[in-house]
Amino acid sequence: MEELVGKIGECIERGKVNKSSPYPKDMQGQDGTDELTRQALDSGVGPEEILQACNAGMKRIGDRFSRNEVFVPELLMAAKAMNAVMAHLKPYFQTGTVKAKGRFVIGTVAGDLHDIGKNLVAMVIEGNGWEVVDLGVDVKSAKFLDAIRQGPECTVGLSALLTTTMANMSKTVQEIKTQFPSIRVIVGGAPLTQRAADQMGADGYAPNPQGAVAFLNAGRQK
Amino acid sequence: MSLREVEIEKDVFEVAIDFTDLSLERGEVELTLGYSDGEIPVHFAAMIDEAILQLPKRCEIRAGYRVLDMEKPAGRHDGLIVGGKFFAMDKIVAGQLKKASKAALFVCTIGPDMENWSRHLLKHGDPALGYIADVTASVAAETVTNVLHDHIAERMRDRGLNVTNRYSPGYCNWSVSEQHLLFSMFPENFCGVTLSESALMSPIKSVSGVIGVGEKVEWKDYICDRCGVKDCTYRATRLPKGQVKIE
Repeated sequence: MEELVGKIGECIERGKVNKSSPYPKDMQGQDGTDELTRQALDSGVGPEEILQACNAGMKRIGDRFSRNEVFVPELLMAAKAMNAVMAHLKPYFQTGTVKAKGRFVIGTVAGDLHDIGKNLVAMVIEGNGWEVVDLGVDVKSAKFLDAIRQGPECTVGLSALLTTTMANMSKTVQEIKTQFPSIRVIVGGAPLTQRAADQMGADGYAPNPQGAVAFLNAGRQK
Repeated sequence: MSLREVEIEKDVFEVAIDFTDLSLERGEVELTLGYSDGEIPVHFAAMIDEAILQLPKRCEIRAGYRVLDMEKPAGRHDGLIVGGKFFAMDKIVAGQLKKASKAALFVCTIGPDMENWSRHLLKHGDPALGYIADVTASVAAETVTNVLHDHIAERMRDRGLNVTNRYSPGYCNWSVSEQHLLFSMFPENFCGVTLSESALMSPIKSVSGVIGVGEKVEWKDYICDRCGVKDCTYRATRLPKGQVKIE
């Protein structure tokens, strides 16, 4: 059973989704996270144990991404493999047998329509065991505030790709912090820097999806 | 290669660029994704090929430019006057264009279909292909800009003038908000590209900018090593190998 769980973690890291998936080439024809998770559950492995193996696999691929050993496509394949696991574990989340690490509300700020970067971050964070509420693009402050009201135990992520929309991001950060001082806000996007994040009063800045995961996981330990 | 152009107003031209005028190599997409020569997993290389195959049927290429007088205001280094309007530019851009007597302001697009396809894939279970489609579309838009740039250079040579490299608001420390001024120099809805209040072009896969024109100008490489924007889209492809550090 330990070997089976270990294999799930390996498939996450390698982005092996299922048996018919041609990726990665050296694992063609082998079971992926889809089949292995089913087998593990049928063998009596607990969902928590499977999730731990998945998180370890996601951490390994994330670390390799941080070292520029792999790039966004590999990270996305890992997230897809993770989603295959989550499909099997969904009933356990619904019954409360296992819990998501937390709730993450994400959106691209008002005036900005870029969604690729935001979507990547959302997928990777979801793959790391968080419940993600994606508010989409061109999201005004009021919509973020509504989402927080619906589930105040959350962390908020704001994305912007234009220097012009950074002003809207700053405004949204301030409005969130005014109404919900304890809510942690992380910002990201091409024009952002740690300095800009500090100036607008955000709690964190992530230059990539893995940075956002690290911020969220660190927040859980506080 | 000589392209057909139509003068729609005085010194405002729309250029007919066909997909067959482009030469888009898989290697350019690989480099933009971050992979060095031969490093890309075969699965992703096949995805790039699939995205490139989609380009002919999904690209609606439109491109155009306007030539205006340009001068450097006396005693100032923070911008240039183009067509009587002051464009605030960082010294990186202003310095590269200061010897130009004219500016060719340009815009081009590949249309919205590639970005729509990419978005669909990202949302419906094929995120890696969706992402690769998006990057391929960006490279295609840049390739269209290369063709337009070459065309402008050819036309200017006919007038006995040289051209510089090209610069776009949002890059090289040139504020993206200057897009509004740049677009005010074009006829409305020029090449089908519009600008949002926040200076975002629609379709997103569009490129706009300025090329310096004059007897005394020369084409120079980009000076990315002097720019502080480390995660710029262009940094990976414009810095010489060995100087690239994705952060």
